[in-house]
Amino acid sequence: MSITRVIPVLLLKNTGLVKTTQFKEPKYVGDPLNAVKIFNDKEVDELIFLDISATPENKKPPLEFLKQIAEECFMPLSYGGGIKTVEEIKDILKVGIEKVCLNTIAVENPDLVKKATDRYGSSTICVAIDVKKNFFGKYEIYIHGGKKNTKLDPVKFAMEMDKAGAGELLVNSIDRDGMMQGYDNDLLKKITSQVSMPVIACGGAGTLNHFGDAIKQGGASAVAAGSMFVFHGKHRAVLISYPSQEELQEAFGN
Amino acid sequence: MIAIIDYGLGNLGSIKNMLRKIGINAEITRDINTIKSATKLILPGVGSFDNGMQNLTDLGLIETLNQKVQIDKVPMLGICLGMQLMTKSSEEGKLPGLGWVDAETLKFKFETGEKKLPVPNMGWEYVKAEKESPLLKDLPAEPRYYFVHSYFVKANNPSDTLLTTKYSHDFVSGFEKENIIGVQFHPEKSHKYGMKMLKNFIENY
Amino acid sequence: MSRPYQICTKTVMDTTDTEIVFDQNGISNHYHEFMRLAPMNLYQGKSTDLKLEQLIEQIKKAGKNSEYDCICGVSGGVDSSYVAYLSKNLGLRVLTVHLDNGWNSELAVKNIENIVKKLQFDYQTWVIEWKEFRDLQLSFLKASVANAEIPTDHAFLAAIYRLCAKYNIKYILSGSNFATEAILPKSWGYNAKDITHLKAIHDRFGKVPFKTYPLLGFNREFYYTYVKGIKMARLLNYVPYVKADAMKVIEDKLGWVYYGGKHYESIFTRFFQSCILPSKFNIDKRKAHLSTLICSNQTTREQAIEELKKETYPADKIQEDKEYVIKKLDITELEFDTIMKAPVRSYKDYPNDEKKLKFIYSVYNKIKGQ
Repeated sequence: MSITRVIPVLLLKNTGLVKTTQFKEPKYVGDPLNAVKIFNDKEVDELIFLDISATPENKKPPLEFLKQIAEECFMPLSYGGGIKTVEEIKDILKVGIEKVCLNTIAVENPDLVKKATDRYGSSTICVAIDVKKNFFGKYEIYIHGGKKNTKLDPVKFAMEMDKAGAGELLVNSIDRDGMMQGYDNDLLKKITSQVSMPVIACGGAGTLNHFGDAIKQGGASAVAAGSMFVFHGKHRAVLISYPSQEELQEAFGN
Repeated sequence: MIAIIDYGLGNLGSIKNMLRKIGINAEITRDINTIKSATKLILPGVGSFDNGMQNLTDLGLIETLNQKVQIDKVPMLGICLGMQLMTKSSEEGKLPGLGWVDAETLKFKFETGEKKLPVPNMGWEYVKAEKESPLLKDLPAEPRYYFVHSYFVKANNPSDTLLTTKYSHDFVSGFEKENIIGVQFHPEKSHKYGMKMLKNFIENY
Repeated sequence: MSRPYQICTKTVMDTTDTEIVFDQNGISNHYHEFMRLAPMNLYQGKSTDLKLEQLIEQIKKAGKNSEYDCICGVSGGVDSSYVAYLSKNLGLRVLTVHLDNGWNSELAVKNIENIVKKLQFDYQTWVIEWKEFRDLQLSFLKASVANAEIPTDHAFLAAIYRLCAKYNIKYILSGSNFATEAILPKSWGYNAKDITHLKAIHDRFGKVPFKTYPLLGFNREFYYTYVKGIKMARLLNYVPYVKADAMKVIEDKLGWVYYGGKHYESIFTRFFQSCILPSKFNIDKRKAHLSTLICSNQTTREQAIEELKKETYPADKIQEDKEYVIKKLDITELEFDTIMKAPVRSYKDYPNDEKKLKFIYSVYNKIKGQ
């Protein structure tokens, strides 16, 4: 029986860890190297690192930094942020990162996704989409760190990425980011019912129940969370945590 | 000396890292002489079957590996694609495998009656021991490992099957035939479960 | 100028404290000082119980119009964890606070999580920007002084006072205690509150300007203590504090897990105390801790001597920590070796306000009638 993956998502901004609310107001959370070490010691299933300043500031992947991070992890690592070329993907995989997350580039150059999956295998390519509801309630994909509206329909785009061979899809709800009120399960269901690749729910997790809902109602294969694993209490104070295996088994009804 | 075979595919650094954490200095190499002098071998791999076999051939490693594994009986651990390459053939490719174990590599395609699950199988799964082995000594309870694969191994000789895992249907997640061990999952990405297994491989063989 | 080696006949303090003094029986000043101060700082029975009752009353009274009665710094270590536990039992409304300097071990974080969740206390973290902290910490390592913990200790105090002011809290519950920490030679460390000293070392060896690092100057401290009326309460001095017993209680009630050594919940502190202090400075801080435990009858001199024969921390783990510390501080192995080989300096070699602060504190204390 599949164990549902529960994945902490860490946001990087200029070598510091930050956490956003609805993709705004990044709050400094700490040193990424130590956070990774703690998550590794907590034996988390997987870790996703997203550099939110990479595309807006046109930065290249920080390979030396990623190598240092990879040395601290005995679980799979994904990295996303400003990746543009197949060469960059190769370099990132070489330093010990298992998967790359393609966000802006997947929209601007979908061919790259096919090229990358052909060359490195679909299991190394994750496509990440940031989605927001417009005034009329229609879902639209945003790129460039949530700043540019592409007006693309996430379901159609997800199906395209499925065809291109992407190994998995990370669906991030901008509206729910940092709000800890639950995932957008409607959005998830719309997508998971149309694609065969695994979908990772992201944006909005606040409780273990939310995890269960994303799987049962949203049809997601895995859940990702940021605030929930990095903040505690009403003051939203930094405290790294991760549920125990028993708690997770209960949440997923395993 | 433990040699991790570098044939251009696979997360060699991660394996070396985990071994270092348990106090072992392994060497990543594609040099025939270094491989010849190794006391244990690890064949990693992430990628496609034909790519793997072609790279091994182009690097001229097959003869040496055959000698070390089949004649000298040096302990050999194949990981993921490494395990699949040890079989006779794969539905993923046209080239023959190393054929060290009487097994085939097949694609996950769920027949009627079987639950259709996403492919590749990407995530943590439990493994079930089908026979006793020094590789499994004192593993933490309910061992789980990280899998990422679209193809799986089918062993023709049940006595070779070491571990099975269920992904809609049961499949061979580990085999062991004399000095030859193959695991479908990635011990180097499986925390304490992988660490203990690698430690067992180094210490008990 | 090197003295012949001598060890106290009552404790295990020795001439690695360069200022140690022995009487004609070979008993050190540390032992005598402990015995002198013990009646005022160690639990004495019913009279201390009464003092505790009065203290709690004062704390609750002072917190009447605030959301919290008091603030409690938590590190994941024994002392602060036990203080948190006690404060819950005493019915105090506590805001727990943690100073995150980027060196937490997973055990520290897990212990803190258990404390705040099981005791259901509100929680705040003060996170120091790693770039700034790293620079300051490296400055202290390059300065070659024995107290490289000043960056953390100073920030902790500054942060906690600021939070007290923010939430209108009048009492700080401190984990520092007489029973297990009374003995600490001056030659092994210097006052973390001396902002002149901190700034001087930063000016000399640092590159990153202070932007988010919290500073506590003497004026500011005066403001907090005398204008805002914020007081320090050392709760553990009001109870019979036996470390082994306290550990059992928090293990049992809070799921607390031990991390192998005093203050070892911080990776840097662990490495500094188990490797740098002994190798470079010839200081084994366990001697101070064990000597205190001897004086408070929590261990015997024989047991302490046996304990000191053991390694500070397993050698392979020290090596692991060393690699991590070098990586995290973003220095090369050569730079680390240079730091280790640099001649030892005293805090006196750098600008400091020791005399001025001594004078000022003695005046404060006279005014307070202590």
